[in-house]
Amino acid sequence: MNEVVDWQGYLAMFDSEALMIQSPFTHDGTIVFGADSDYTTMAIAGLHLLSSRGTEIATMRSLPLVNPSAVKSATGTTVVCDDENTEACEWNLLVGEEATLVFTNNLERNLGFHGPAELESLDPTFYADIQTAWEQELKPAHVSQGAYVSEAAYMEGAAARLAFMAQSTNANLIWPPRQLDADGQRLESPSQPLMASAIVESWTKLSAAGAPSEFALRAPVLGGIQTVFVRFEQGPCGVFLVADDEQYEPAIGDEVTFVVRRIYAQEGLIRYGMKAVPKLN
Amino acid sequence: MVDVAVIGAGQTKYGNHPSGLKGMWAEAAERAFASVDQNFEPRCVDEAFIGSVAFGGGQLGNTAALLTEHSGLEGIPVRRVENACASSGFALRDAWMAIKSGQADVVVAGGIEKMNDLSPERRRFWLGVSGDTEWERLAGLTFPGTYALMARRHFHEYDSTHDDLVNISVKNHLHGFENEMAHIRKEVSFEKAQSGFMVADPLTLYDCCPTSDGASAVILAADHVVRQFTDDPVWLRSSGAGSDFLALHDRPSITQVRATQQASNAAYKAAGITAADVDLAEVHDCFTIAELMATEDLGFADRGEGGVFAREQRGVRNQGDVCINPSGGLKSKGHPLGATGTGQAVEVFKQLRGSVEDARQIRDAEIGITHNVGGSGATCAVHVFGRDRG
Repeated sequence: MNEVVDWQGYLAMFDSEALMIQSPFTHDGTIVFGADSDYTTMAIAGLHLLSSRGTEIATMRSLPLVNPSAVKSATGTTVVCDDENTEACEWNLLVGEEATLVFTNNLERNLGFHGPAELESLDPTFYADIQTAWEQELKPAHVSQGAYVSEAAYMEGAAARLAFMAQSTNANLIWPPRQLDADGQRLESPSQPLMASAIVESWTKLSAAGAPSEFALRAPVLGGIQTVFVRFEQGPCGVFLVADDEQYEPAIGDEVTFVVRRIYAQEGLIRYGMKAVPKLN
Repeated sequence: MVDVAVIGAGQTKYGNHPSGLKGMWAEAAERAFASVDQNFEPRCVDEAFIGSVAFGGGQLGNTAALLTEHSGLEGIPVRRVENACASSGFALRDAWMAIKSGQADVVVAGGIEKMNDLSPERRRFWLGVSGDTEWERLAGLTFPGTYALMARRHFHEYDSTHDDLVNISVKNHLHGFENEMAHIRKEVSFEKAQSGFMVADPLTLYDCCPTSDGASAVILAADHVVRQFTDDPVWLRSSGAGSDFLALHDRPSITQVRATQQASNAAYKAAGITAADVDLAEVHDCFTIAELMATEDLGFADRGEGGVFAREQRGVRNQGDVCINPSGGLKSKGHPLGATGTGQAVEVFKQLRGSVEDARQIRDAEIGITHNVGGSGATCAVHVFGRDRG
């Protein structure tokens, strides 16, 4: 019942009717999210885990603490909030006061999960600084000095960004998606998922002073930001921020996998995207 | 077809310029006008193309009309040309084409950028939105980051190291030291450049060009009117241009810039020259790795040999095969984005006419080129200039 699985930067416990997923971090005795995680990113990770074990969830009832469009783009699951018609929802997403989520298809049962006793305690200063940075960045009045990616532009690429959906043409995969080909014909909508791992071909670490303006509030707290240039086995390349990299410096040839995390906030809206993490053997 | 000559060229000093857009442009235009040997006045100009990414100063739309209004050129057809850092390289190409087509006889190509009247955050915004915003920026990349990815990959694939980049930085500071128009006029030792503050690993502060204010202008004339203005023209023998995917991850290789290859191949072919014929090259060294890769893409070094080229000092003034960045390049002379392309042309014009400071003069220079890149290689314009008409 209580086998604990390390999954996309979270800890997960599950049985046939339920999955509990939680952050591995604590602060002041409470389970808290890490630097770029929230209920949305954790819900996506949970759905990925359920999917990897053969459970696909089409529709799920939840409190409005997760971003439905991000979850839909990343997993295909429709999130229905409590005040809507939830009769079609076989599964429920229960949100705890702490950084914990439970997926269950049986609300009658007693959820007897017991998380691991030992969790990583975050440095209090780091935790306070990163929370303050996010709070400031999320204020509607906060005007990012960074690149403006409108919601329309962001959503246009959401399936490619959050689910690695690529276009298939002449046995090649194109990712990120394009519009017309060299014959002037419109390429088909992305429908083929890229493999969820890739090889690092180059990398850099931007100093806090040199970090892009979007990350100006958080980069100093994180001590700079790392980005990798990777090639997927099917051919396409991409660039990604690195997550959970406190102890990790990339190297050319490393294999990485991907998790959905917060990228940055703009006009009060969080932009989510894939980040690279080293693949554990 | 009509041949095109440069009959005048001028620029402001690059750096923190006290004037606004109008004053800077007027200064560059005034110097360009004054450099024409005879019979020139602004009303001789048929058309103008002015490159600018358009940040700073506040006049984002119709910038070109504002500038011509303040340089005695009001009333002529004019437009702003925008191709990121290659804006005025493409303004020069547009001006060249206007004359080649027979549409105009005398054309001004110029560029301007006021970068230091903005907060550092807003500067980074404008620099950032000249790259791919939707994917690269969301991966934390600005231009230092994209060029850092290119550098590390080049080191991995070829016999190049960060010390080769240090050699480029030292050379360009050496070349710019005597240039009165340069933003950063100081010699830098190898040891100092080697131990610079890390900006985007492996690129340090000494691998990155400064952000500069500046304006530059060149005056082109059709062959049948050249002698009205000068007996000593510099011929703009050809213009080549190319483009590539905006984002690095869409390109076949990140250790070469296809747009540079396309532009230089076209320009060399049209001018009837090869890379071996070039005496001096103003190369777009926004980052030192950009110059290293450009020496390969422009044909001065074999593929993968850019590091060796830098190590063996083959781009040093009056010492190597070809002088790379006699002005000091973007690294030392400075990089006022929209002004950089025509600023490069100002340097080549003066070098070929033998009118730069004595210490900087390239001996017996007959052919020079300019290489102006937009972003991390999405656009590129290469121009070939010669003492002879070709």
